[in-house]
Amino acid sequence: MIDPQHATLVEAAAALARGELSSEALTQACLERAHRLNPALNCFLRIEDEAALAAARRADAARAAGHPLGVLHGVPIAVKDMFYDPARETSSGSEIRRGFHGPATATALARLKAAGAIVLGALNMTEFALGPTGHNPFYGACHNPWNPDHIAGGSSSGSGAAVAARIAFGTLGSDTGGSIRLPAAANGILGIKPTYGRVPRTGAMPLSWSIDHVGPLARTAADLARLLGVIAGHDPADPTSSRRAVPDYESQLGAGIRGLRLGVPQNFFFDDLEPAVGTVLEAALAALESAGAQRLAVNVPGAQHLTELGRTVVYTEAAALHGHWLRTRPEDYSPQVRARVATGVAIPAAAYAEALQLRALVLRRVCDEVFGACDVLVTPSLSIEVPTLAATDVGGSASMWSTIGRLLKCVAPFNYLGLPALSVPVGFTANGLPAALQLVGRPFAEATLLGVAAAYQRLAPWHECLPPVH
Amino acid sequence: MTDRKSSTLEAATVSALARLLGYPPLDADTAARIAAGASNAVAAVRATATVPLFDAEPGNYLAELERLAGPGP
Repeated sequence: MIDPQHATLVEAAAALARGELSSEALTQACLERAHRLNPALNCFLRIEDEAALAAARRADAARAAGHPLGVLHGVPIAVKDMFYDPARETSSGSEIRRGFHGPATATALARLKAAGAIVLGALNMTEFALGPTGHNPFYGACHNPWNPDHIAGGSSSGSGAAVAARIAFGTLGSDTGGSIRLPAAANGILGIKPTYGRVPRTGAMPLSWSIDHVGPLARTAADLARLLGVIAGHDPADPTSSRRAVPDYESQLGAGIRGLRLGVPQNFFFDDLEPAVGTVLEAALAALESAGAQRLAVNVPGAQHLTELGRTVVYTEAAALHGHWLRTRPEDYSPQVRARVATGVAIPAAAYAEALQLRALVLRRVCDEVFGACDVLVTPSLSIEVPTLAATDVGGSASMWSTIGRLLKCVAPFNYLGLPALSVPVGFTANGLPAALQLVGRPFAEATLLGVAAAYQRLAPWHECLPPVH
Repeated sequence: MTDRKSSTLEAATVSALARLLGYPPLDADTAARIAAGASNAVAAVRATATVPLFDAEPGNYLAELERLAGPGP
C-alpha cells in the first residue's frame, strides 16, 4: 500500500495504474489524514468524504472495466474554495458567498476531474483571495504544517498547507499578486503561476480579470508538470485564454540545465533580503551552477513600480466587481478586505486605463532587457523568513504593514507582467520554516521553469522532508 | 490632489468619492488607508508613463505575450 505521506502525485498515479492499490483505499487514507490534521491546520473548509469516496469508487470501476480516465485517474487532490461547481458550495472564503453554488463547473476543475482526479474537499483561503497571509476572520486562519504558529501564506493558504501536510497530492490555486507562489514558498512546496492566458479562468471567482491567474501547487516539479498539462489550454468560454498549443511538460523535465543562463537581478529583488534567507538562496544558486547553469547579473527595468502598476488595475477591477456588495452589504466584509476592494474608488479611471495601456510596453522592455540576456530570471520568493500569524494579524505588530509589503515584494511584480513564475523550495531558515526561490521566464516558458525546478530537486530533494504534523 | 510633484490623495476626497458611488460612510482610518494605497498606485503609473501612449495599440495584451514567447511546441 502506497503511503500518501511519502508518495508523490506521479508515483501515486503510477501505482494506481499498475493496480497496486485502489483509488478508494488511497482516497480513504487521504481523508483520514485530512480529518486528523485539519483541527490543527484548518486547511480545509469542507472535507467531502461521501463525494470523494463515490468518485474514487467510480474511478476504480472504470479502471476495472478497462476505461482509463486520464493521467490523474484516481489521484486525490483538493481545490481552493473559489472554483465553481454546481454540486457544491463555493464560499470564496467570504461571508457574502457562504452557501453559494456556482452556475457551472470551473474549466480547470472540470479538466482535473475529466483526467480522473478525486476531489477531497474545499480548501481554506483568504477572503475573496485578497491577502497574503492566510488569515480569515470568517473561517479561521490556516496554519503552517512546519509550525502552526506561522502563516501558511495566502491567498491559496489551504492549497499550500494541504500539499505540505501530505493530505492531497496536488491542489488548485489562483494568483493575482502572489497567491499561489507565497503559499508554495511558505509551506515548502512548488507552485506555478502560468503565463496570463495559459490556464482558463472560466468559473473561477474573479478578483481582477486582467491580472488573475489559475495554477497548481504540488510537491515536485513532475507533479506540477502533470497538473499544469491537464489544466492548460484554450477554452472557448474564456476569450482571454491562449490558443497556443500546450507542450508536453513532463517530457522536458529531464533536459538538464547545462549552459542555461540564470539572471540574478542586481536591482530591487535582493534589496532588504534577510540574511538567513540570503544564505539559503545562495546555496541553491551555487547548486544550480554546479549542475552547469551560468549565473549572470541582470537589471529588471522599472521593477520598483510593477507591483503598484498591478494594484492600479486590481483595485479598480475589484471595486467594480464588488461595487454592489460594497453598497449593500459592507458589514459582511472584514474591515481589511473591505478597505482593499474599496481602494479602487480612489483610483482615477485615467490611471487605470493608462496602467493597462502601459502593460505591453513595460513587458516588451522587460523581455528585451532581461530575457535578451538570460533564460530564466531568479529571485527570492520570500525575502523574509516565514512570519508568525500573530505578527501579521491586524494590530499584531507595529511592523505588520511593512511585513505584508515584504511578503508581496518579489512575487506581485510578475502578475502585472503576466510572465510565468514558479516557486521552488530550497531549504529551511533557522526558524525551521521553508525558504524558496522564484524562477521567472519569458511568456509561455513554463516548460523551462519546470525543467530548472526538476534539476534542482534532483540535486537537493528538500521535498522529501516531512513536516512535524501527524 | 495637491501639487504636481508630491500628489497624494486626501482622506476627505476618498470619503467624498465613496459617497458619490453610494458606499456607506468610511471611517477615518479606512479612508486614510485607501488614500495612501491609491496614491501609491497612481504614482507608479505617473512614474512609468514616460512616453506618449497615443499610438499604442489598445488592449490586446495576450497577443503581445504570444508574440514575445519563444517558438511553440
